[in-house]
Amino acid sequence: MSSKPKIGIYGLTGCAGDQLVILNCEDELLDIVGATDIRSFPMAMSGGDENCPLDIVFIDGTVVQPKDEEMLKRLRERANLLIAVGTCAVWGGVPAMENKFSREEVKKRVYGPTGDLFKTITPQPLSSFVKVDLSISGCPIEKEQLLQAVASLLHGDLPRLPNYAVCTECKMAEYPCLLIEKGHLCLGPITVAGCKARCPSYGRPCIGCRGPVEEANISSEVRLLKEKGFTPSDIQNRLRTFAGAADSLQMESLKEGTNA
Amino acid sequence: MSDAHNYTSDENPYLPKPARIIRTLPQILDHQLFQIRFEKEEMINNFTYRPGQFVMLSVIGTGEAPFSISSSPTRPGIIELCVRRIGHVTNALFKLPPNAPVGIRGPYGNGFPLDKLEGNNLLLVAGGLGMAPLRSLLRYALDNRSKFKDVILMYGARNPDDMLFKYELLELIEQPDVKCLLTVDTDNSGMWKAHVGVVTTLFDHAEIDPNNTYAAICGPEIMFKYVLEELLKRNFSKNRILMSLERNMQCGVGKCGHCMVGYKYTCLDGPIFNYWDAINLPEMV
Amino acid sequence: MKIITLPKENFAEFVGHLCSFGEIHAPIKRGDRSFVFAPVKDASEIELDCVRTILPLKKYFFRPMEVMFNFCAGEGYEIPSEVTDKRIVVFGAHPCDIHGLNILDMVFNGRYVDTYYLARKSKAAIIGLDCIPDDLCFCRSTRTDFVDTGFDLFLSDIGDKYLVRVGTSLGDDMVRAAESLFYEVQKEDRDAYKRKSIERRESFKTEIQLQDLPGIMDLEYESQVWQDVGETCLSCGTCSMVCPTCYCYSVFDELDLDGSSGRRKRRWDCCLFKDYALVAGGHNFRAKRSSRVKNRYFHKQRGFVSLYGRPSCVGCGRCKAQCPSGIDIVDVITKLRSETRV
Ligand SMILES: Cc1cc2nc3c(=O)[nH]c(=O)nc-3n(C[C@H](O)[C@H](O)[C@H](O)COP(=O)(O)OP(=O)(O)OC[C@H]3O[C@@H](n4cnc5c(N)ncnc54)[C@H](O)[C@@H]3O)c2cc1C
Ligand code: SF4
Ligand code: SF4
Ligand code: SF4
Ligand code: SF4
Ligand code: FES
Repeated sequence: MSSKPKIGIYGLTGCAGDQLVILNCEDELLDIVGATDIRSFPMAMSGGDENCPLDIVFIDGTVVQPKDEEMLKRLRERANLLIAVGTCAVWGGVPAMENKFSREEVKKRVYGPTGDLFKTITPQPLSSFVKVDLSISGCPIEKEQLLQAVASLLHGDLPRLPNYAVCTECKMAEYPCLLIEKGHLCLGPITVAGCKARCPSYGRPCIGCRGPVEEANISSEVRLLKEKGFTPSDIQNRLRTFAGAADSLQMESLKEGTNA
Repeated sequence: MSDAHNYTSDENPYLPKPARIIRTLPQILDHQLFQIRFEKEEMINNFTYRPGQFVMLSVIGTGEAPFSISSSPTRPGIIELCVRRIGHVTNALFKLPPNAPVGIRGPYGNGFPLDKLEGNNLLLVAGGLGMAPLRSLLRYALDNRSKFKDVILMYGARNPDDMLFKYELLELIEQPDVKCLLTVDTDNSGMWKAHVGVVTTLFDHAEIDPNNTYAAICGPEIMFKYVLEELLKRNFSKNRILMSLERNMQCGVGKCGHCMVGYKYTCLDGPIFNYWDAINLPEMV
Repeated sequence: MKIITLPKENFAEFVGHLCSFGEIHAPIKRGDRSFVFAPVKDASEIELDCVRTILPLKKYFFRPMEVMFNFCAGEGYEIPSEVTDKRIVVFGAHPCDIHGLNILDMVFNGRYVDTYYLARKSKAAIIGLDCIPDDLCFCRSTRTDFVDTGFDLFLSDIGDKYLVRVGTSLGDDMVRAAESLFYEVQKEDRDAYKRKSIERRESFKTEIQLQDLPGIMDLEYESQVWQDVGETCLSCGTCSMVCPTCYCYSVFDELDLDGSSGRRKRRWDCCLFKDYALVAGGHNFRAKRSSRVKNRYFHKQRGFVSLYGRPSCVGCGRCKAQCPSGIDIVDVITKLRSETRV
């Protein structure tokens, strides 16, 4: 990328918290703006260019409505690199947590009779619809990882983000293990690192907000939590919060399974 | 041992030495030969190595990766690396502008046991990118021709467009002091004058005396398997079959643990192993 | 070896003197029942009865994450000016901790020398302290329950005094700086030491046979045990982070937004991670978790013996104490030894 890369920053359905992280990179935002050509960032500016080809598009949120899907596919066509930003975009996140109920049921419970006025589809991560070149998970994402990613992307490379569990960072920082010491329901062993074990650092167990680590051994985690006295529904509720789309895998592994 | 000659123990062994890519020679799709020269005169003069050794190459801003040296120590001054474009570091390397600075440290690894090879016939069997380390040994042997008996190269590529060092090797076919047998799996060009067929078919075209020959094999696993069969059929001793192992390497100097195979560090004890040692390493393949 | 005694009533004053040799680091409490090595101001903060800390002493010398070089497109790679001009005095290192450091010394020395580790190590004083083993300790089996090198001073509790072994000239300087606090060894001290030594030996509850283990590991290479442990293991990395002798690391470059400057860093790695043995093009030499688990045990108990003449495990029990899924190294080895296969 010799001239300034053209960038777009978009949100689908979600809290837009990840776009906020981008805006909150106070010290670095000017550098980002200086090094790139931000063509469209609907949350922060109006009058963006909605048709030009883009080098990189950052997208947060989840696909919940048909219009999200349309917008996503359109962005994929326009962009050379498509980056999923935030656990919603990467894993479905909170919007996908109720996937075990039918859409109609959820809509009725949430919106009552007005729910009939708009269409929804089963909330899913971006990768269910388009090719995703890079996933930066987190709820919200870590500023440091975002900047790392931007720096690498500007350099024409993809960043290498941690590919190990939160426990690793928890131990590197020498926090006492809440699972072992206090018997808390900690999802650190199956959640991807990158937050420097923020919750355990405050004495709170990991709730899995960053989504599962690659090859998460969920059946073993479930087994050990059951041994600590948690019920399958405690565990299910916790597991489902952020990685709803990985639900089937998780429900499956509540039964005994092998994955050595 | 010539491994650590550029290195004294109070020196930071991980520090890449400034070097520059002075020339790139495209080879085949996604493969290039990089000619690299150290910036400092003393490094240029003192950097010696053995065929089969490797260096750690740093692309500033992207990272570091191990590459076999393809040039021969008999032609000092520049180091040649034949690189396949495959990931972060190699992508960045291919995108560098002419004359770009890079970092080099090494040489690392054991390299081929030249003291044992000398006085013997050499049989070099390569497939694909396996030619990279063997080209160093080949050049070394040809530049020290009197130290070796027969020198035989068998090199196979998928088709003529996939052959590394093609023109250089085609010239060798005519040369009397080396038997250069080149083959392609299929000839899509219709212009190919050498052999067609898998590498092992070349064994019919050479006389090999297992007692006075060392075989060095580099290439894909599957090729290795069939070549090995041929050699064992000819009663080659397992100690006379040499192979190069590839492993994940983060340091090159026996610290990071990544290259461990069973009880050996590939970066220190390898990457060249004889077949007997190799089969005694658990999880060798 | 020079041996003297330090009456316990002089202990606090002695610790006070140590400040002049560097910042004192000793076990303190963290959480409900965990301990960590951390800076202390005076002796009263030190948890003398701590059996094991969360992280071992390697954290001081081989950092969990560190900058190896700063780089800049124009200038190449530069070694960061050493941040640790600070001298530290580590107090309360147990025999297994010191053996752990001695093993790291072997690894980080050798044909190539890890200058980061050595620079920091050379600025630290190590004061050892005897301990009473708990259920998880098996350092007697790994022959690391007693240590005779790798410390500047070593204190053994012999009742109302400490018996102090002086290991280095730095240790001797520390004693000389507070000479009036120390006494010559008396007959009753010798007797007390020997009595305590037997008491300590007899208090080990966990014992495994390791001498012939390398051979058994080769024989049981295909054991079902690896399959079973592989199913339980979460690949969470805890065991390697907390192990005093796990030294694996990964290197990566971190770029600044300007696209030309940044840092080359390394961080602790673990052979149980999926991509540990992955090479470019996607081939993974240990794709299955069971093969990675096996590698961990092989490296510690088998490979290291070939490379350095002894297993790298020092029997500290940290991996068992902190494994979320409760994998117990002693258990695994016992199963491997006793298993009969069809
Ligand atoms: C002794 C030795 C000699 C080699 N010689 C050559 C050669 O002559 N020509 C050539 O093209 N390739 C060679 N390779 C392979 C080369 O090292 C990899 O292709 C290279 O590491 C790819 O880096 P990357 O960042 O482009 O790939 P990516 O897939 O993006 O990254 C792979 C990452 O894995 C790590 N890694 C470490 N060791 C390896 C490894 N052996 N293979 C793959 N990844 C590794 C690196 O940290 C690297 O960043 C050799 C490897 C070894 C071990
Ligand atoms: S507290 Fe949670 S994240 Fe930390 S080590 Fe224990 S299980 Fe892992
Ligand atoms: S393997 Fe376990 S018991 Fe052995 S030294 Fe490491 S942490 Fe301690
Ligand atoms: S290979 Fe595994 S067990 Fe051995 S030092 Fe590295 S992380 Fe520890
Ligand atoms: S601590 Fe336990 S679960 Fe975690 S990687 Fe080690 S053995 Fe596996
Ligand atoms: S590459 Fe690091 S130990 Fe071999």
